[in-house]
Amino acid sequence: MRRIEAGRAWILTLVGLLLPHPALAQSPTAREIIDRVDRLLRGESSRARVEMQITTEHWSRTLEMRVWSLGVDYSLVRLTAPPREAGTATLKARQEVWNYLPRVDRTIKVPASLMMGSWMGSHFTNDDLVKESRIVDDYEFVMSYDGRREGVSVWEFVMTPKPDAPVVWGRIEEQIRQSDLMPVWVRYYDEDGDLVRTLTFDDYKTMGGRLVPAIMLVVPADKPEESTRLVYHDLEFDVPLDPDFFSLRNLRAQGG
Amino acid sequence: MRTAALLRLSLRSVGRNARRSALTAAAMALGLALLMFSRALAEGGHEQWIDSAVRLGLGHVAVQAPGFLENGRLEDRLDEDRVTRVEDALAGLDGGALVVSWAPRLSTSGLASSAASALPVRIEGVDPEREQAFSTLPDQRVQGRYLEPGDRLQAFVGIELARRLEIEVGGRFVLTAQTASGQVEGQLVRVAGIFRTGIQEMDEGLVHVPLSTARSWLGTPGAATTVALLLTSSRHTDAVVAELDRSLDGAAGIRVLGWREASPELDSAVRIDDYGDYVFHGILFAIVALAILNAIMMSVLSRKREFGILQALGLTRAETGLVVFGEGLFLTAASGIAGGVLGFVATWLFFRDGLDFSGLMENTITLSGGIIDPVIVPVFRIDQVVLSLWSITVIGTLASLYPALRASRLDAAEAMKFEQ
Amino acid sequence: MAEDHLWWRVAWRNLGRNRGRTLITTSALAFGYLSAVVMVGLTDGMSAELVENGTRLLIGQAQVHASDYLPERSMYRTIGGQNGVDVADLLERLEAHPDVRAAAPRLYGGGLVSGGEHTEAALLLGIAPGRERHVTTLLGHVTEGRAPASGSREVMIGVEMARQLGVGVGDELVLVAPAADGSMGNDLFALVGIFDTGTPGIDASYAVLALDELQRLMAMDPGRIHEVALTVSRPVDTPAIAEALGAYLGSDPPTEVRPWTALRPELAESVALMDSMNFIIVLIIFAMAVFGVANTMIIGTFERTREFAVVRALGSSTGNVARTVVYEGIVLGALALVAGVAMTWPILVWWHRAPPDLSALVGGFSWSGAQWRPVLRVEYSLEGPVLSALALFLTAVLAALYPAWKAARIPPADALAGR
Repeated sequence: MRRIEAGRAWILTLVGLLLPHPALAQSPTAREIIDRVDRLLRGESSRARVEMQITTEHWSRTLEMRVWSLGVDYSLVRLTAPPREAGTATLKARQEVWNYLPRVDRTIKVPASLMMGSWMGSHFTNDDLVKESRIVDDYEFVMSYDGRREGVSVWEFVMTPKPDAPVVWGRIEEQIRQSDLMPVWVRYYDEDGDLVRTLTFDDYKTMGGRLVPAIMLVVPADKPEESTRLVYHDLEFDVPLDPDFFSLRNLRAQGG
Repeated sequence: MRTAALLRLSLRSVGRNARRSALTAAAMALGLALLMFSRALAEGGHEQWIDSAVRLGLGHVAVQAPGFLENGRLEDRLDEDRVTRVEDALAGLDGGALVVSWAPRLSTSGLASSAASALPVRIEGVDPEREQAFSTLPDQRVQGRYLEPGDRLQAFVGIELARRLEIEVGGRFVLTAQTASGQVEGQLVRVAGIFRTGIQEMDEGLVHVPLSTARSWLGTPGAATTVALLLTSSRHTDAVVAELDRSLDGAAGIRVLGWREASPELDSAVRIDDYGDYVFHGILFAIVALAILNAIMMSVLSRKREFGILQALGLTRAETGLVVFGEGLFLTAASGIAGGVLGFVATWLFFRDGLDFSGLMENTITLSGGIIDPVIVPVFRIDQVVLSLWSITVIGTLASLYPALRASRLDAAEAMKFEQ
Repeated sequence: MAEDHLWWRVAWRNLGRNRGRTLITTSALAFGYLSAVVMVGLTDGMSAELVENGTRLLIGQAQVHASDYLPERSMYRTIGGQNGVDVADLLERLEAHPDVRAAAPRLYGGGLVSGGEHTEAALLLGIAPGRERHVTTLLGHVTEGRAPASGSREVMIGVEMARQLGVGVGDELVLVAPAADGSMGNDLFALVGIFDTGTPGIDASYAVLALDELQRLMAMDPGRIHEVALTVSRPVDTPAIAEALGAYLGSDPPTEVRPWTALRPELAESVALMDSMNFIIVLIIFAMAVFGVANTMIIGTFERTREFAVVRALGSSTGNVARTVVYEGIVLGALALVAGVAMTWPILVWWHRAPPDLSALVGGFSWSGAQWRPVLRVEYSLEGPVLSALALFLTAVLAALYPAWKAARIPPADALAGR
């Protein structure tokens, strides 16, 4: 399985996108739009119930999980299904990722060399959990399209990394709906301009009092028949969580 | 007086029996030439292993903070003060002429990531100019160029690493490592060049970046994890280590290591090859000695009559022995000179550019972290040449004693019988 | 051929009469033979050591994989695909082949090993311990504890990994590996052994457990293996054997047999390089041996100028003088070779059986990724000794013939005059 890296943490991406968008001024610049979206990534706390459907060449499976997050530094994911793996948990605290394995009742820190390894067999990597997004700092933006696509008014942006920015992508493209600032898709390209993967958003609906895309689909470009699909069932914002919640002790404690 | 006359007699005897003398001398001369040549070849092979290994590695002498050799962590580094002290000590080194060059390096472990992958790597911050003179890594370049002074975001990477990251020359990737403050920081670099050493660990896990970039990224201004020294020959290692130790006396947190300590594997390799050489040269020496002995013995057998004549001419037994012994010494001396010249000249003529085995290889051969150059240039060492000369002289002298003894014990009348 | 018989007798008597000369020449030849043969044996020993250490530690001399396994080494590409293969039957078929000495099945997994506070990435290797012993020396490098057993949750790791994890025999380790069903296989294992191969890459990254245990951890059926490692009858001929084995196994399931020369091309080249360097050494020794023998023979024969003159004056033809010398050379050469062989073989056999172990003086080291024991080992084949014998024998005869021919052509009177 080809290891792919997301420019942004998927948990944060989702949480971020779900935060309310401040009203945009008339004819905003590309930078302003992306800046808004990006600042949303540095969201506050959230709690969610998510289903992850993974399809690969060799197997398909569905994981159910609960997700907590606090700012950009902390998140905790705990599997609730399938039963055999229920209780398995992942903690992200700053730059470190820890796994809890209920079967052996141990917490394991993911070593640096395996940060690019797949997270629970999905098309996300452990590194995706850790990456801090600083998209406004790291990229230059150009609005490449402003008009209608399939009857919907959208903007399309091309983001290219600044010369010194420590990011791996050669280019990122994103389409955002003008009416409600909802993302439609994000495409990640490598240095040679080849597509590496595509994120697609769908099923925009109100959850936790806000409009959100409840479905997010990741497709690696080199294996288009494979995918990981996230479906949000429940979502709450601004839940009272403090950094202690994201401790190793709590990672180990059942229930969370 | 009489001795001089006897020796003149010996000399004349050498000339008179030109054929026999030539054959005996040939055994000695060829033996010496072969001994010298094979010693020079073995020595050249050794020096080359050591040289290539230390130039890709830590140098003949490595100055580090204690613990770095064992752990390889950034915490165990020489800070700016200590680097300055080491540089001062190097500047004041009496044996400064022995040091070909030295290079500060700042290395740590980290992760290299591209859009395709991320892999654990060894990141080495180097001074491009000094490293060019020091390391053979720049010569292993297969694409692009090595780092140059003034480079900031350039990196020199192994071919396997480039392949796995799916990047080419000019391509960008991100290095991530823990900095001095404990934070994990990313650093963007672009591939300036790609190398291929044939050493797996290097080709898939080594990245050279400019020292200045590494220092500012890792938050360690002026620091180095190793100051590596390249010497004119591995033989001077102990002397330089001792002198550096002396001049750094009392400096806390500085450790001076010779290559034998810094790369124990290479040390073992060189040692075992030495033992192989001892066996080989033992056999060669024995066979040379036997050839000389045989040649002399063979000629003695048929000289009874000749010895008898000498005594009949009025020489005492001792004097007869002396004449024969002198003959042996003259032969030995002549062979020593002829063999020495032959050894030097033949080695120089045929092998000054080295014995080239490269036709056999597509891949490079690695030995304990070094690349084996398929071209071996023979190296003459004074002590080795002297040893070879000395051995031949001793054999020649000892072998001359036997006929001398025989001649001196001969009964003249018996020998003059017309038997042989 | 009564006359011929006579000349043989003359030759024999001559040898007996000049005992000193005969002894010296014989010793030159016999010792030359000893040197040449021991030297060839030593260099062959070095090559054999290199090939064996390079292959026997871990890779074996040939490997059988599913035809699409290399180079990606995807964990799903087991022999026989998803359905696996009848492992016992496959091994039986392989071992039935006359050139296969032993076969050992293996399964690989990429995962984590965690003990105490630390976790390291590891290459998990599932083996059948009983079979593995016949193919590789890995289990012989266990320096502490013992090898893991089938059917129990036991693992052994390298000394370097043990150091990094800060664990010792008796500790409990967690092994984590992505499983074939997409789940994250994990379980507790007892650390029963620590191995020290001397190769840091192996000692730092391999975790070895029983095949059935790794299959269970990775949610794979007992029929699923990635590899069968083989020991073959003649390591030097592995490429040809591998090809024959490929045809022998057929295409059901589709497999591929790779010899060590393809798995480790740099090792094959090391062997070639060392052979050629050793060739020079052998050449030097041999040249000196030949020269020594020739020189002794030439001197000996030249010194007999007078004797030949007498024989000639007695009415012998030049041809008969030369003939006697050749016969003498043949008899002498044969005698010397018998002595040489009698002297050489016991030394060779003794050396082969008990090679001097230098490990007290030096440590092991690696050459092209192959680990070396610090021993000076001797290997012998028939080829080296026979060729050496032939060459030295010819040298002795020819070196005697030339001066004899020359001496016999000098007019008898001149020679008798004492020159």
